[in-house]
Amino acid sequence: MINLLDLLVHPERFFSALEGKEPDLKIPAAIALAGAVVAAVAGYAQSSLFSEMFSGMGGGAGVGAFIGIMAAVGAFFGFLVIWWVLMAGVFHVISMMFKGSGNFTRTLANTGYGLLPTLIGSVITTLILYTYLPRIAVPVIRNLQDAAAVQKAMQEMMLDPAMKEFTQVSMAISILFLVWSANIWIFGVRQARGLTLKQACITVIVPVTIFILYMVYVTFSGFSMLGGA
Amino acid sequence: MNHRCVLFVIIAAMVAIIPVSAVEQQTAAAQVMVTNVTLDPLVFMTDDTGTVTVEVINNGAQSVAISRVTMYDEKIRVQSRAYDTTMYLGAGNRMTFTFTVSAPVPDGIYYPVFSMDFRDAGYLRYPVKLQVQDKPLKVSILSKPDVFTGGKKEQVEVLVGNPRDNGVSGVIVYPTGEGIDASPSSIFIGMIAPDQSQKVNFSITPRQSTTLEIHVDYMNGINSHAEVIRLPIDLGKSKIRAEPILSNIQIERSGNTYSLTGDVNNAGLEVANAVVITTGDSVVPVDPYRKYVVGTLQPDDFSAFEVTFTAEGTDRVPVEVSYKDNDGNLYTTTTTIDIPLTKPGAQGTGEFPIVIIAVILVCAAVIGGIVWYSWRKR
Repeated sequence: MINLLDLLVHPERFFSALEGKEPDLKIPAAIALAGAVVAAVAGYAQSSLFSEMFSGMGGGAGVGAFIGIMAAVGAFFGFLVIWWVLMAGVFHVISMMFKGSGNFTRTLANTGYGLLPTLIGSVITTLILYTYLPRIAVPVIRNLQDAAAVQKAMQEMMLDPAMKEFTQVSMAISILFLVWSANIWIFGVRQARGLTLKQACITVIVPVTIFILYMVYVTFSGFSMLGGA
Repeated sequence: MNHRCVLFVIIAAMVAIIPVSAVEQQTAAAQVMVTNVTLDPLVFMTDDTGTVTVEVINNGAQSVAISRVTMYDEKIRVQSRAYDTTMYLGAGNRMTFTFTVSAPVPDGIYYPVFSMDFRDAGYLRYPVKLQVQDKPLKVSILSKPDVFTGGKKEQVEVLVGNPRDNGVSGVIVYPTGEGIDASPSSIFIGMIAPDQSQKVNFSITPRQSTTLEIHVDYMNGINSHAEVIRLPIDLGKSKIRAEPILSNIQIERSGNTYSLTGDVNNAGLEVANAVVITTGDSVVPVDPYRKYVVGTLQPDDFSAFEVTFTAEGTDRVPVEVSYKDNDGNLYTTTTTIDIPLTKPGAQGTGEFPIVIIAVILVCAAVIGGIVWYSWRKR
């Protein structure tokens, strides 16, 4: 029986307990799936903004529903692929430079365990999202064929004060919980790949830092969408 | 000689003398002739009244006794009485006789007869040529605007022509019509010679759709005549009026205030003066640009403008462009512009809510503590 509290607070002890055991993906997969579900919920909630945006068109409700479904599905698989598989792959590749041993399944499993703080952070940001949604003013598009109008509406929505505030808040919370996850990943990767603590730190901190910098950059420099600057 | 012989001689002498005196009278009357005939008017119109003045002269060496002078005709009506008093026309003297006549006849040339009866010497008959021509003055509109606009002063040029063989006098032109202001109210032309014409200009300002009447009053001799032409006026939009067009419209929202910017172009052919742009009733204009004064816009000229407003419960803003023409008439055109719809949302205050800050700080503290704790335990 795994101890989730140890995972969160004593990750070194948690992963030490897993040594010598065959990697089991059930719990990591459950954590990742839970995170994906939360991401899907958040994606669907955010897509309601686009439903409002397209409500001025004929058949706008259909477009909104389609966007909502696509956002939920995209967020679901995006979480699974980016946060779990891709992150595990990055850790695995970087750890190869340190001649890390251990198969990818173990890296994948330990990376999955480390997603638990990210899951908690996603729940918090999703709850905060629901408090911000009513405050966000959404431009309404009448003609989807007018690419310039669509782009302008997107930019206006992203520059909405409430939207900007939520983006900054969610970024801050995501970074905090990502740091927590990174802390777990360090011990997880060390155990999975047989690295020294220093090597594990490098393996995890480098990509996580790059990802955090990217998040900060995107948050404060704006979004690049639909060919716009 | 007895008394019978004396009486016979006297009678014989008288018989011999009387024929000699009548011949002399006829000889003297033959020296009387008509020297001049004057008609006023020179050419009559149907039903006109005028005068015919006949001047006669006695070219003989003896005076002539005239018993009666008159004028007569079957169609031309002579209204004045004949000269029935016996008068003498001395040797070498002239005398004029004036008759009032009227012409209740159609066009044509008539010859009323001037008749002078001499005492004991026959008479003088002289047909006087009197022309009746029922041609009135011709009035035509030389120029007028294609379309009259309510309250806008337009120029109308009128030509008055005299096709008659005689001149007419006292010509006065004046426009009338319900709801029409004309300047000047009338124009006095005076005499118009035969085959001549005269142009006059009026400034016409219609207030409603109506009929403009151009009246021409004139005199032919002592007879008053009038002509009128009617010009229907249907108010509409002038083809050359100033026409402000809005373009390059952009609406930006800042809080609850919209800022509408764009260009106003004068696509008409006349100058638009005192151009002012504001918003209509369905929205509320707010500072700093409740109204935007552009000023004068020449044809093909344009100017940028900006108006600010708030809009509650509407997704369209009527933009009113008012301007004045050169006569000071105010025109207003309204262009309805769609407001980019925005789902109403409570705008952010620009400050992070305390609760959110607290959550972030708590999370940071907890996570920092956990990380620190996880490493300390090693």
